[in-house]
Order: sequence, then C-alpha cells, then structure tokens
Amino acid sequence: MLECRAISKTYRIEGREVAALRDFDLHLPAGSLTVLVGPSGCGKTTALRLLAGLEQPTAGAIVRSGGKPLGVGYVFQEPRLMPWLSVARNVGFALEGRAPKPDITARVAEILDVMGLGDFADARPDQLSGGMASRAGLARALVTRPELLLLDEPFAALDAMTRRRLQAELVAVWQRLRPTIVFVTHDIEEAALLADSVCLMERGVIAERYANRVPRPRDPTDLAIVELRRAIIAGFEAGESRKSNT
Amino acid sequence: MRIGKSLPVWPLVALAIVATWAIGVAVTGVSRALLPSPALVVDAAQELAGSGQLAKHVRVSVTRLAAGFALSTLLALIAAFVFARVAWVRSVVEPPLEFLRQIPPLAMIPLLILWLGIGEAQKIGIITLACFFPIFLGTTGGIAQCDQKLIEVGRVSGLSPNEILLRVVLPSALPSVVIGLRIALGQGWRALVGAELVASSAGLGYLIEDAQNLARTDIVVVGVILIGTLGLASDWLFRHAIASAWPWVPVDRPHESNA
Repeated sequence: MLECRAISKTYRIEGREVAALRDFDLHLPAGSLTVLVGPSGCGKTTALRLLAGLEQPTAGAIVRSGGKPLGVGYVFQEPRLMPWLSVARNVGFALEGRAPKPDITARVAEILDVMGLGDFADARPDQLSGGMASRAGLARALVTRPELLLLDEPFAALDAMTRRRLQAELVAVWQRLRPTIVFVTHDIEEAALLADSVCLMERGVIAERYANRVPRPRDPTDLAIVELRRAIIAGFEAGESRKSNT
Repeated sequence: MRIGKSLPVWPLVALAIVATWAIGVAVTGVSRALLPSPALVVDAAQELAGSGQLAKHVRVSVTRLAAGFALSTLLALIAAFVFARVAWVRSVVEPPLEFLRQIPPLAMIPLLILWLGIGEAQKIGIITLACFFPIFLGTTGGIAQCDQKLIEVGRVSGLSPNEILLRVVLPSALPSVVIGLRIALGQGWRALVGAELVASSAGLGYLIEDAQNLARTDIVVVGVILIGTLGLASDWLFRHAIASAWPWVPVDRPHESNA
C-alpha cells in the first residue's frame, strides 16, 4: 500500500514559485488501478514523478507500508528509447545484469509478442513508427513485472484501434499480476474504462474521486460507463466555474 | 564525400590537379629544385619504394601515431569519466588542463626532448598531447549533452549512478566522442610530422627534412603527398569502422571545425 500525505511540490520558474501540487493526498491500496484525470498543467505528471522517486516533494511524504522498496515501472509520455539499442535490448533494459540472459531473452520475447512487436526485436528505435515506439516503451515497463506501474498518458499518441487493444492488454496484465497502477490521462473515456478509482485533478489537488465498480470487460457505450463519464465531466465543469469565480 | 551513392568526383579532381601541375611546370619551365614535375615525383617515389625506404618511414610514422592515439584515447576517456563522476577532481584539474590546452604541442618539443630524450617516447608524447584534448573535449561535451530524459529512464530502471554513466550517458555521448577521435587523428598526424622534423632519424617528417637538406624537392613532394594520402586513408578507415560498429552514430559530418 502506498500513500501520498499532504504533498506539496513547487517549482521555481524564472524566480517565480509555481505550485504543481498543493496538499495532495492519494491513497493507493495494493493492486488498485487508479486513474488521475485532469486538464494539462493540473499536476498529474508531477504526482507520477514523485511516486517514481524522480523528484522529491517540497513538503509532505510518500508513505509505503511493508519494508522493501517497490519495483517500479514507468511509462513516459514519449517512448524514450535508447537510440543505440535494439528494440529487444531497450525492452530488456532494466533486466540486464539482474537476471540470467536466457530468462531475459524469454521474457522480452514474450512481452514483445504481447505488444505485437515480435518481428521488430532486432530493429533500431529509429526504424519504428510512433505507435510501435510507444508500445516498446510500455513493454519495457511491463517486462520487469513491477509492483508499482506508473503510466503517463501512454496511449495518447496511438491510433484509436491500437489504443483499445493496449488498454485491454493493460487490464489483462493488471488482472493477472495485480500491480498497483497509477495511470495518468486527459481522456475521460479512457479513465472511465480503465479505473477502479478515478481522481479528477484540478490545480494541484484532487478535486473529486469516483469509485468505478463496473464489471470488466467494459464497453465504452455501457450505460454505467457513460454515466461515470458524465459525472466526471460535470465535476470538471464545476471546477472550471470555481476557477473563473476566484 | 559520399561513398557508394554515385560516381565519386574525387578521381577527376585529382587528375585535374595533376594535369594542371604538369602543364604549369612544362609551360613555365620552373626549376626542378623549386617544383619538380609529376613525372619526376613518380620517379622519386619509385626509387624510394624500391629501396624499401618508403615502407620503413611509413611504418615508423604510423606506429608512432597509433601508439600516441591509443594512449591519448585511454587517458582522455579516463579523465572524462572521472570528471563526470567526481566533482571536486573536476574543479581541481580543469583549470590546469584548460591552461595546457592553449599550448600548441609543438611548443612543448624542447621540454619533451629534455624530459623524454629524442627517442620514441618524445614523439609519442607529442602525439598524445595533440590527440588528448579533442578526445577529452568531445567526451566531456557528449556527456554534458546527454538527454536528461534518457537518464530518467535509467533511474526508474533502478540503475546506480555508475551504471547510468556506463549504460546511458557514455553510449549517448558516443557520436561526440567519435567526432573528437576524428579530429584527434588529424591533429595527431600534424603533430607527428612536426615532431619528426625536429629530432628524428626515421619517419615521414624525417624523410622530408632529410630531402630538403639534400635539395631533393622531388622527395619532399613525395613525402607531402604521402602524408596527405595516409591522413585521408586513416580518416576513411576510421569512419567506416565506426559506421559498421555503431550504425546509429552519424559520421559523415563536416570535419575538423576547430583545427
């Protein structure tokens, strides 16, 4: 279990203090799938970077129960592949030197097949299309079977068909291995389809939470999903009007 | 110069230069001591090749260059590596290194003769001095320019700082290192011939110096053409070695911008 307690994060931009997160609380039960949704600049990515340990909070703390540090997988907004490594070695990047070679080869081959990249194991990243590179980035995070999987708009650059397929694949991985997932998106439909729990963010805080118990597999046209989307949009619009009133 | 894309232009250019040279010498009737004709130069080259002189001088020069280049590559990579990891070493060592960088290697010849004698050590020392800075600056520059986003990938993958340096920063610095190596190779050639002109009994610089004393301008021209040709050939070999070893490194860049 992981918890963000009263986290603040401020950046200094040209001498001005800009608050990315303000008293941000987030409770992540083990094995939960939480989606942070909100307009750009609301602090979603910052929350993810703090959870990954890429940045330290200005105030507050991230508390985890259970002693040993979690294995983290992170999917960045861009694929961020190493241009000098083949696709297979990019995907196995975090495993290299930490697992026997045949194990790495087998696990990488398996995840590449899942991602539809089996034929591109030996390709260089500059030979991949944008969507394929995104999938390679996702494969790199999944191959370590992390306990905490952080995804920052991983499917934003994909075509609608591929996005649907990878959303389903992500849910399948989650149901099989039960990592704790925090998924950042600005796509409300995506949030409603994927999440256990949707957190609507607004100017550095969580403005609203929505539990989502719709059984899986989910359909975007399912009435319960549509209602959840409607509720999130209403929450977002309420936030916008609060903003214009202040 | 692109290789294998279309018919190369350079043989035509070389032919035109030689033809102009031959016609110019014939028309002006300039003394062979000032500028011998291409035919005389070919004769001299054949004479030197036949006696084994040419091969000997080339071998001596190339061996010196290879030794100095290898030594400076090793030193420069170690220095850049330490600088990247240990900040205080950098702050202590960088100012004197910057000072040394301003001194042309040839200006160090008198001191190096005093310290290292007039043998191989002194020549290799000069080449090492000449090659060190391009490689060192290429490597430190490449390290400094490493994409922070790739470093973050290393961090979320659980890599230690040393692993990040080895597996992320150095590979991403490689194109810049390669440019440094190419510049160093060119600088090394220049310094080598300079060193051999001063106190030497073999090598291409010595060949030229000796021929000058004997008023054999034809041999001087043979030496000059050979130095240029070997320089081009080593750069060509180097680029091809890089292109096959690390296909993602762009090597067809403009050459020796700070020479």
